[in-house]
Amino acid sequence: MKTKVVNTEPSPPAVGATPVPSSHRVNRVPARRILERFQALAALVGIILIAVALSPRAADGSNIFLEAGNLTDILRQVSVVGIIAVAMTFVILTAGIDLSVGSILALSTSVVAMALTRWSPPLGDTGRIALAIGVALAAGAGVGAVNGAVVSVAKIQPFIVTLATMIGVRGLAKWLTDNANIDIGFGQDVPAVFAAVISRKAVVIGSLLVMAAVFWLVLDRTVFGRYVRAVGDNERAARYTGLPIGRVKIWVYTLSGLLSALAGVIYAAENHQGNPNAGIAYELDAIAAVVIGGTSLMGGKGSVSGTVVGTLILGILTNILRLNNVDSNVEMMVKAVIILLAVTVMSRRPSE
Amino acid sequence: MSRRPFLWFLSTQLVLFAACHTASTGGKKQFFVAFSQCNNAEPYRAAQNALATKLWGRYRDVKLAISDAQQDDNKQIAQIETFIRQKPDLLIVAPNERAPLTAVMSEAIRADIPVICLERDILEPNYTTFISADNRDIGRRAGQFIVDYLSKKYGRPRGDIVQIRGLLGVEAEIARNDGARDVFARYPDIKIVNDAVADWIQAKAKDRMTEALRANPHIDVVYAHNDPMAIGAYLAAHDLGREKEMIFVGVDGLGGPNGGIKKVMDGILAATFVYPLCVDKAVEVGNRMLREPNFKPDKIYTLHSTMITSLNAAEAYKELTFDN
Repeated sequence: MKTKVVNTEPSPPAVGATPVPSSHRVNRVPARRILERFQALAALVGIILIAVALSPRAADGSNIFLEAGNLTDILRQVSVVGIIAVAMTFVILTAGIDLSVGSILALSTSVVAMALTRWSPPLGDTGRIALAIGVALAAGAGVGAVNGAVVSVAKIQPFIVTLATMIGVRGLAKWLTDNANIDIGFGQDVPAVFAAVISRKAVVIGSLLVMAAVFWLVLDRTVFGRYVRAVGDNERAARYTGLPIGRVKIWVYTLSGLLSALAGVIYAAENHQGNPNAGIAYELDAIAAVVIGGTSLMGGKGSVSGTVVGTLILGILTNILRLNNVDSNVEMMVKAVIILLAVTVMSRRPSE
Repeated sequence: MSRRPFLWFLSTQLVLFAACHTASTGGKKQFFVAFSQCNNAEPYRAAQNALATKLWGRYRDVKLAISDAQQDDNKQIAQIETFIRQKPDLLIVAPNERAPLTAVMSEAIRADIPVICLERDILEPNYTTFISADNRDIGRRAGQFIVDYLSKKYGRPRGDIVQIRGLLGVEAEIARNDGARDVFARYPDIKIVNDAVADWIQAKAKDRMTEALRANPHIDVVYAHNDPMAIGAYLAAHDLGREKEMIFVGVDGLGGPNGGIKKVMDGILAATFVYPLCVDKAVEVGNRMLREPNFKPDKIYTLHSTMITSLNAAEAYKELTFDN
């Protein structure tokens, strides 16, 4: 097999790393992936048990953490970063990184708020809302495509490309809005209807679940998903087997931009404003969620389900610290320790 | 290998246990007052927190929790949601920005929690009472002070002003800007040559002021909408050797060695306006809301400001410096 010749890395190939005829497929590999996911799930179960134990009690003795309202609060609170993290998984699987997601979110909130409040096309309420959302998504996807094109064609490192985009797009958002926030009111007009509908818990949480499901399917059940892993696992081998690496990279960054824009649309609805200063440091939260979920920053290894688990772990952690009124600064230090612990566990894979 | 993850999980548990305190509930009725603060890093807000802790601390049966949203709207929304889950007897909110916090405060009202909106307004009256200071008046008085100063300097009202603004989504910011512009509008020779935004932060103000200094060879007045930004502007001018060319006007007028009043005494600020912390009123009204079930507070309480100049700075300093 060609991989044996060119593979100089110590790590074993991941599932579907190269398109191998089914007769050659290694049986052990599905077991490893179950073990990966098991570790992340075990951490999640552990955190839930701790949260239940440490939860304060309501006046009637019931466990506040387990209240349906609190649990759905957590899901809602992690959705914006969670949606970004789902797409970030693909980028990191190709051994890339996308630092511009926070800025794309800010651009998206600004674009959607501007489109809603300043355009009056003769389209009817739903049409105007759909148009505003569509334009915001297109803007995000466009930036993502630029990221992908520069990464794949100019062959500049993703860190540097997306760092530049992060700065440039933030500037673009501030320039478009004149550095002001664009308020979305609470009345009956089109922007207010947009906010009322899109900010509903069910819509926000539903968006996260739908995106997670779609991306999980794409990663696990499509050829494109296998290409994504292959590119990250061993790009040289992937090139020698003729995979369309350039197109794969352009697509993963475009998807990252698209989902960051979707997160931005939800953010604008929840916050009732377009805000060119939104999303600062969100890329770090997203990357933390992806990494805790078991995806390796070196590429090739990881899963969308792991990212969802990582997102939930961070959300539950924050929630239980807040329910106990832990000082915000202590909260940050505790989170840092937990992230390091979780990543240390995740990275200890059973060797061959 | 199988033991290591278990040990790591165990240490995770220990870390979390160490961080979370389990409060013991005695037999007496304990009131839980939750205070959602938008940004502990601003000196004005740190002073609010210190005063709140001191005043609420006088009541043995009140437990106070203060959360810090670090100027992040989403964080503040999540923190208030989590407070709501704990069913506090009183919720005090200093909103980071108007629009984002409006919806979640209506959630608190709907959960039958009394809500005090502190100092900053939101888009809808989703609170039991709003304790505010008259920022438009502050803006007008600052504007008038500047007009008087320029009239004295040039014999007639003319001059170039650099304005340094806080977070644009905050009502206080809008009011301080509009109040001053109301006054300046009457004098066509008084111009705002640079309108910079520094989000209430001293370091950002220093950067914006440096840009303004490079762009404008002559500046008469710097009107910054809070003292830290005024100080930042002063530092920028000082670095370029131009601090004597202009005067600096701020807002906040906090006591203590780091506050604006001391800066007026030291000659760094020409004037500042005491911005009431609003906390003393909040504790007074809030305490009545907790203990008197029939008490209906006013919907809005408006507190007034005092101008501090070199004439009254020493007096004000003594009066407004608390031992924290």
